[in-house]
Amino acid sequence: METAKTTFKEKANKALGISPEDALISKSYLIVSFTALLLGGLLGLLQGLNRAGLLELPSWFNYYQVLTAHGILLILVFTAFFTIGYFYAVLSHCLGGLLPKVRKMAWIGFGMKIFGFVLAVIPIIMNEATVMFTFYPPMAASPIFYFGLVFIVLGVWMLAFGAFLQVANWRKNNKGQHVPILAYFATGVFVLLFFGSIPVTIEVLMIIPWALGWVETINVMLARTLFWAFGHTLVNIWYLVAVSAWYVVVPKIIGGRRFSDTLTRVVIMLLVVMNIPGGFHHQIVDPGIAESVKYLHVFMSLAIGFPSLMTAYAMFSVFEKTARKKGGTGIFSWFKKLPWGDVRFLAPMIAMIAFIPGGAGGIVQSMNQLNQVVHNTMWVVGHFHITLGTSAVLTFFGICYWLVPYISGRVLTPKMNKLGVIQTIFWTVGMIFMSGSMHWVGLLGSPRRTSYTTYSDNATALSWDPYLMFLAIGGTLLMIGVIIQVYAVFNMMFFAPKGETEFPIAKAEDDAVKTPYWTERWGMIIVVMLLLVAMGYVIPIVEFIVNAPPGSPPFKTW
Amino acid sequence: MNQFIIGLFLLLFLALPPVANLLESIMIMHMHMQMPLLVVSGFLIAKYFLRRFPNFFEKWNQNGIPGIMLFMIIMVYWMIPRTMDDALTLQSVQIFKFISLPFLAGIPLRDSWKKINSIAKNAIIISFTIIFFAMGWLYIKWPDPLCNNYLLIEQITLGWGFMTMAFCMMIYLAYNAFVDPSKYE
Repeated sequence: METAKTTFKEKANKALGISPEDALISKSYLIVSFTALLLGGLLGLLQGLNRAGLLELPSWFNYYQVLTAHGILLILVFTAFFTIGYFYAVLSHCLGGLLPKVRKMAWIGFGMKIFGFVLAVIPIIMNEATVMFTFYPPMAASPIFYFGLVFIVLGVWMLAFGAFLQVANWRKNNKGQHVPILAYFATGVFVLLFFGSIPVTIEVLMIIPWALGWVETINVMLARTLFWAFGHTLVNIWYLVAVSAWYVVVPKIIGGRRFSDTLTRVVIMLLVVMNIPGGFHHQIVDPGIAESVKYLHVFMSLAIGFPSLMTAYAMFSVFEKTARKKGGTGIFSWFKKLPWGDVRFLAPMIAMIAFIPGGAGGIVQSMNQLNQVVHNTMWVVGHFHITLGTSAVLTFFGICYWLVPYISGRVLTPKMNKLGVIQTIFWTVGMIFMSGSMHWVGLLGSPRRTSYTTYSDNATALSWDPYLMFLAIGGTLLMIGVIIQVYAVFNMMFFAPKGETEFPIAKAEDDAVKTPYWTERWGMIIVVMLLLVAMGYVIPIVEFIVNAPPGSPPFKTW
Repeated sequence: MNQFIIGLFLLLFLALPPVANLLESIMIMHMHMQMPLLVVSGFLIAKYFLRRFPNFFEKWNQNGIPGIMLFMIIMVYWMIPRTMDDALTLQSVQIFKFISLPFLAGIPLRDSWKKINSIAKNAIIISFTIIFFAMGWLYIKWPDPLCNNYLLIEQITLGWGFMTMAFCMMIYLAYNAFVDPSKYE
């Protein structure tokens, strides 16, 4: 009976796409996600204009408040809700519909996250939590802000466990088979979301009694370290989401096959295993850590570059193979055979190209000496906007053009495709201006997280102005991009013509080598991950606790 | 053959003076990174020896027990605080470290691990878990430096390194005990 039911469900899924209940989950997540994009984008524009000296923000809504809200809305809300909405659609599609239990968990998680965000946003609006989006001591926000963060994390855990239940159930019913590749990506992402959020939970639990005034001081370095163990993991969660589309979806859209299934799974495993200790490079100029330890940590950070290089090779191999099959010739002219007019390809393709300078900039920042040149300058902001803002986000946008019609039972019209292409162009040009000028002005020494100032008309500070003007132009173009994108998502969700849209999953090559079964042993992968986390963090954490300085009282700098 | 070259390359890399000096300058890196990597290099090199001298391993390590005993003895030897000190002060002990860990621990481990049954495997992991907890406790709680070459803070760090490794092994054992792979595989 059970089997018959599953097959029927699978058939129904194939004929009708996603079940309405599962679609509702993904749609709700995407609605929140893109609403956050609109608000966060708007705040970003205000920030850009202020930074260029074009706009004076009122005292009741200052630059640092805008910065905090911009960061929280885009980094925590937009990306997280997108990731969850996307991967729950993936789990539903690839694993024969969500289990009723999992669906319930998804809603509880949704409720907790929304409740948490409301709690966190209230003090930001009241200017009680202007601690920038990296919420670590000694700046202390209102305790309500941290209560909100607790609920957000609890929501994330609920969703992660839902995903694990769904995958475990599928594996029980399909013994000996490999988890479908996109569900495998989802597993990796939720493993990282769960384990990566443990350190930040400990950090927030340390902060709450301190912010409430129950304890006088806090160990700043320990809190920072716990924050970045999560912070950098989050970065690679975005990356893993983008990579899932690059490996699996893009080849289908260009009419090709996937690159080696084994390599794809190994890349996912490597990213999961090596990720959390990688966060240490964010503290490369922090005090209290021996030079030799920092030096060893550079290896750990750069190790993440290996799976990225594998990805670059794999993707260009797929592009060339597919283009040559379509009659492409020459060393480079086969590029012309790729479907540049299709937004579902164009957006992720530009995202991939952006990852070349983005990754190179990341390497710069993980090295001790080079980091000292760019540390806490606008360079870092530029890097962040080219990696998250372009490589990850532009891929998310590309995903929307088939995911939203798929979950809404609608189709992508040529008109909407054209709008998507225009959006991608706006985004790309805007980002070249904004991120490019940020990188450059950072090299010239302009600090980050600073409202517009000429430092008493200092000549050096004045020389930054032309670049800051480009920053404002880029920001304005990006805002137009945001508006088009949000319009496109809501249009495709509610107003596009009804019809069927395929969930594009490319097949492996016909002559592909069989994937070894050890790739499925997540228990082992997690143990290895924990071992690496232990190796990465034992030295600094023991040092910070045993040789702890007196600690810091809460500071309110705004 | 490929594995043999990787293993040999790893061994030579670890033996380069700057690499050895850097890893030995931090106590926990010395014990929990350099030493395990030396075992790993032997584990990779083993492939060549197992193919080249099958009769030797068949004759002396028929059921895997002698090999695993040798592995345990070498590992436990290198956990004695005095040996780590000696490796830093006496050239001969340093050379012995670079020979014993790959060739007397890594190679026998590879030959033995596939020959012993799962009960023995679990017993070995359990005994290492207990040893690691005990060593962790010792290094964290002992009020004086046990190694002349390292500061007390480094000793405490190493102690916590032992503890976290033991926790990871416990997680692995629990995973093995509670998750039935036949339900999934």
